[in-house]
Amino acid sequence: MHYCGDFRTTYEKDIEILQTPTTRIGVAAFLVFLVVFPFLVKGEYLWVGLQILIAVIGAVGLNILTGYTGQISLGQGAFFGVGAYTTAYMTTKMGLSFWVGVPAAGLVTAAAGMVFGIPSLRLKGLYLAIATLASQFILEWVFLRWEPVTGGSFGIVVPRPSIGGYVFDSDRSFYYLVLAITVVMVLFAVNIVRTRTGRAFMAIRDHYISAEIMGINLFRYRILSFGISSFYAGVAGALLGHSLKYVTSEQFNLGLSVSYLAMIIIGGLGSILGAIYGAIFMILLPKVLTVLTTKLTMLIPGAAGLAIAMEQGVFGLIIILFLIFEPDGLAHRWRMIKVYWKLYPFSY
Amino acid sequence: MKKKRKGVRYLERGMPFGVSKAEGNTATNHEIREEKAKMKKTMKIAAMVAGLAMVLSGAAFSADVIKVGHLADLTGPTGDVGKPYAEGVQAYKNYINSKGGINGKQIEMQMFDYAYDKNKAVNQYKKYKEDKVVAIEGWGTGDTEALAGFVSTDKIPYISASYSAHLTDAKKTPYNFFAAADYTTALRAGLLYLKEGWKEKRAPKIVFIYPNHPYGIAPIKGGKEYAKELGFEVLGDEDVSLKAIEANSQLLSVKNKGADFAWIGGTTNSTAVILKDAKKLGLKTKFFSNIWGIDESTPKLAGGAEEGALVMAGSVRYGDKVPGMPLLMSVEKTPQVTHFIRGWVSMMVLVEALNRADKKGPITGESVKAALETFKDFDTGGLTPAKITFTPTDHRPYMSVNIMEMQKGKLVIMKTMTLPRKAEWLGL
Repeated sequence: MHYCGDFRTTYEKDIEILQTPTTRIGVAAFLVFLVVFPFLVKGEYLWVGLQILIAVIGAVGLNILTGYTGQISLGQGAFFGVGAYTTAYMTTKMGLSFWVGVPAAGLVTAAAGMVFGIPSLRLKGLYLAIATLASQFILEWVFLRWEPVTGGSFGIVVPRPSIGGYVFDSDRSFYYLVLAITVVMVLFAVNIVRTRTGRAFMAIRDHYISAEIMGINLFRYRILSFGISSFYAGVAGALLGHSLKYVTSEQFNLGLSVSYLAMIIIGGLGSILGAIYGAIFMILLPKVLTVLTTKLTMLIPGAAGLAIAMEQGVFGLIIILFLIFEPDGLAHRWRMIKVYWKLYPFSY
Repeated sequence: MKKKRKGVRYLERGMPFGVSKAEGNTATNHEIREEKAKMKKTMKIAAMVAGLAMVLSGAAFSADVIKVGHLADLTGPTGDVGKPYAEGVQAYKNYINSKGGINGKQIEMQMFDYAYDKNKAVNQYKKYKEDKVVAIEGWGTGDTEALAGFVSTDKIPYISASYSAHLTDAKKTPYNFFAAADYTTALRAGLLYLKEGWKEKRAPKIVFIYPNHPYGIAPIKGGKEYAKELGFEVLGDEDVSLKAIEANSQLLSVKNKGADFAWIGGTTNSTAVILKDAKKLGLKTKFFSNIWGIDESTPKLAGGAEEGALVMAGSVRYGDKVPGMPLLMSVEKTPQVTHFIRGWVSMMVLVEALNRADKKGPITGESVKAALETFKDFDTGGLTPAKITFTPTDHRPYMSVNIMEMQKGKLVIMKTMTLPRKAEWLGL
């Protein structure tokens, strides 16, 4: 969207990601905040921050597939698992380091995602959703039963990464590592959607026949989209595994897939910023609700059981209300707020 | 602090009236206001002093407190059995605190209901770690598995009610403990009991019914190996989910295979479903379930279909004549399920470890673990099938199981089976 007075006179200016000084200052301030964040909080809130960063990677990846290419996937949770198990196997059983394990996790998951993405050539919409649901069940079964590799029902204990003699053992140090990876992955995603590849994805999403007539190889780009999305899921899953220090099949169930889908819908489909907002919202909301119910329990001890039981219901209710009143997601609302203040008080 | 402040406010409001009444009309408004301001100041200072005193005494008080975490499921999917277990844990803690705590130090143990949500469990764990707890009383497979990686690197002993055998191998999970026979040992004990009672010449046929879930799968490998060793004919597995509402097709297959025995690795709900459908289909198979499959609530759930089914229990029943029971019954007057007793015992184990650690020096996660590993035939007062022993390499508490049978809606202890503590069974 361009506004009055927003002129670009060179191509360099036109392809800048951060167009105005305000956004530049805003993003810089946010990055500074992310860097000092571990020193402002500790314990569980630092852990929540770490989980948000990992969720951002996964959500951005899913948004490339679902938001930009229009392919619904219910297998993101299982792809997380593929990544986690790959790095767990490589670091514990093959003795390789984290620095090999995580990229390998991304690549292996990308390959798995491409295989499970093959039905996307023939299937669209809900049909594809069911096909990807199958991948969720198949992979979950594999995690539990392929004992030599996945450790079966016992899972695998994975170490935190180390470089030289330094081990990223504390949540704080690991946070910085994940932060660096997240920033790179998000930047990569922001750029991918501006390239020919990203434009092709959007063309397929908007009208696949027109896209094909325009010379876009549907099969290739659909599979590529699955591959990129799964790569993100794999890296996120690997980081999740290393952050938890333990990988078991219970972590990567359908619930995880659905919550990632919820993240991008709440945040905003087809928007990288939306995926980030959605991840923050979905990870933070249960935590906020827990804090509220604990407070409520202290005030009215009798209501403790009810309040905790209501938590799930309230969680669902908030999501429903969000979808009704904010169908385009948080990213859209953010845009509206910006527009409002840009022209304040002289709106059209 | 809050109370004090309230008091101050009350006095502020109350005093000027008293003053104006006593002095009649001689005092001017100005004087009253001044008096009021003075009062306010004094009260403020008083409140601050009181508050400071409370803070200081609180600090002194907290030095005499042992912080322990407690993760429980009261409202989640396993809440029906999680609640009595957690209540057992808390009941023993309250009893010890009322008796003066650990050598004069009170145990501070707030229960947290994580509703079987592992993200919540991890969040709360991070909080516990920040609070520097020396041990955690945990609950099921979900939280125990999710935290197994953390507790061993953070050095916080974790006492769970997930009795998965892999937690007993101290090489892999050095900080995990529990106070009942692991799932596989319980299954082996059941197999041995059935084999001893088998009179026919042919090999008994057995089928394993369990959900495709870590909890169900955990004992299968070790159990099948032992079944073959004992001379059972092992038939193909059947998968019944924990949330199943019917199991007709699976049980029809069990019937067609002609199984003499069937092991159920489920929870009370799924086990009741299996037993009901088995009765409906007229199966002659003898069922035996693991520790969480059958309890006092089963007759209500299965409606009579549970008659003759066996359960591999890790405790006695409420009211049994054992030395440790009168104390439990004096603390908890209403009859409780076996899960309550196991919760009670698990806290008993932790309290003993805290006592031993405290005698040696400062209580830390490491010292509690070391204390737990000094357990040699620790007597639970007969509440468990055997006395508890932990070593630095072997965290199997004991190798005994109380085989209980459902008879006319009541659990009856048939026999206490004791297996040898074989090294090759550790962690499998």
